[in-house]
Amino acid sequence: MAHDHAVAAAAAHPASEKRLQIERDVISAMQRPGLVYWGLVGFFATVFGVCLLGAWAYQIYKGIGVGGQMNPVGWGIYIVNFVFWVGIAHSGTLISAVLFLFRSKFRSSFNRAAEAMTVIAVMCAGMYPLIHLGRVWYAFWLFPYPNQRLLWTNFKSPLEWDVFAISTYLTISVVFFYVGLIPDFAIVKRYTRGLRRHIYSALSLGWVGSKQQWRNYNMLYALLAGFATPLVLSVHSVVSWDFAMGIVPGWHTTIFAPYFVAGAIFSGCGMVLTLCIPMRKLQKLERVMPIDHFEKLAKTMLFTSMIVGYAYTVEFILAYYSGNVYEFGVFKDRAIGHYKFAYWIMVFCNVVSPLALFIKRVRRSLGALFVISIFVNIGMWFERFVIIIQSLSHEFVPYAWGNYSPRWPEVSIMIGTFGFFFMMFLLFAKFLPVVAITEKKEEVH
Amino acid sequence: MSERLVFGSEHDFLHKLEELVKSGVNPRDIEIFAPHPVHKAEEILEMKPSFVRTFALIGGLTGAATGYLLTSLTALDWPLPVGNKPIVGIPPYTIIAFELMVLFGGLSAFLGFIVTSRMPAIRTIISQDEFRDTFEIHVRKG
Repeated sequence: MAHDHAVAAAAAHPASEKRLQIERDVISAMQRPGLVYWGLVGFFATVFGVCLLGAWAYQIYKGIGVGGQMNPVGWGIYIVNFVFWVGIAHSGTLISAVLFLFRSKFRSSFNRAAEAMTVIAVMCAGMYPLIHLGRVWYAFWLFPYPNQRLLWTNFKSPLEWDVFAISTYLTISVVFFYVGLIPDFAIVKRYTRGLRRHIYSALSLGWVGSKQQWRNYNMLYALLAGFATPLVLSVHSVVSWDFAMGIVPGWHTTIFAPYFVAGAIFSGCGMVLTLCIPMRKLQKLERVMPIDHFEKLAKTMLFTSMIVGYAYTVEFILAYYSGNVYEFGVFKDRAIGHYKFAYWIMVFCNVVSPLALFIKRVRRSLGALFVISIFVNIGMWFERFVIIIQSLSHEFVPYAWGNYSPRWPEVSIMIGTFGFFFMMFLLFAKFLPVVAITEKKEEVH
Repeated sequence: MSERLVFGSEHDFLHKLEELVKSGVNPRDIEIFAPHPVHKAEEILEMKPSFVRTFALIGGLTGAATGYLLTSLTALDWPLPVGNKPIVGIPPYTIIAFELMVLFGGLSAFLGFIVTSRMPAIRTIISQDEFRDTFEIHVRKG
């Protein structure tokens, strides 16, 4: 009896009130989705099914030739999309791991959504090499296994590094995402009944917040952040080496790894804003996702935008200074050649439009941030388009130059991945806590 | 028998915990529950660093070794001399070794967490035990 009294007194404490408010705010976002919500999920699922699976089935039936890839441009928008989605994935790890190591407070508003985004985006990215393979049923040849022909994969190939980098990245991102969720599952358990309660309870692995659990958990989380930080740098460096290891002019430069990593974080911040701004509004998360945190994310985006802008400039200067006619020829062609539209869209979206973020009012206006984040997404897609397609179209011998444009199955598959991405994100936003509750509670005093 | 104390704020909780330890209660007899990580409590209870890091170290080293061995041994098993490049190329194999270090290290750290925390705790999952929002101190008595 005395104990119950003490519990009631503890719950009435102002700090306790604040913590419970955080719980309620986040959990209320998980209430039963309405018809409109299910409608949206259904819409994106249809886009995924029809556009991606349909077009892919058609491509498998007819052969890879239904796409536009042809000499000299052997890597079309499948690879553009692969790099785009890997890039999107990166800021999730940045926000959850790197900012954790730096003890940045603003990560707590976004880290869960960003981690979910990472996992989903890596899935999207992972589809593209398989789609691009053509005969997808031979995909297992990518992995080293003791086969009957005693053949092993070529570990010196950047494409093989990619297999290791992407599969490690997906696995570690999933583990990191899940580990962050364990205490939150235990909280959700308290708010649910019936079957859902059992599911969340099982997912929480029996978490009660005892001293042993927290001690081991803190160590695990710090270790995973420590592993994920160099991992995130390595993964996009490896992706950049897919290009930089080749002798294609426009690809064969040493700045590719840092340039790609900065671009990845930039695009990822853009996508986090694109997802979180509507989510904050729709799920009524204003209290747990303050504007200040959005402003900090906008600053990160501005900073990375300037690195990317610097890289665009330096690339030109390097090409000029190298005295290599092929290298400089590619860069001139970028700015004034067949693909100049893509180049200037890229420059406008990635370098010019984020400059507006220097103004404090823009950084604090969610509408403006949302518009800029869309620009960034478009710009970063075109950056990969320019790097991959324009470089290949304009190699050494003018006789071998040739232009590429995507055909409908490629475009359809691309639209389909966006369907998959948004479908998965909408499901995440209703079935899992979208903000890390325990981390938010840590800020209460 | 044990004594159970419940607190609404981190401050009161830490204050009482410090008082208990200073008054001579063995930290091993104290069990605490917290709604979020409280690093100071670990210091007060003089807890040793978690074993999870040993798991991560062993996993990471195993991964790096696997990466180097897998690549080098397969290359030596069927040598393919190309452009006078070494059969066993350390720089490219370091990338594979690094990725496998992270993969094995991360997974074994997770495994270590599961093992050292005795999870999944089936009894807690089935029972109505909850992860509450209060800070609690349970003192085990003699």
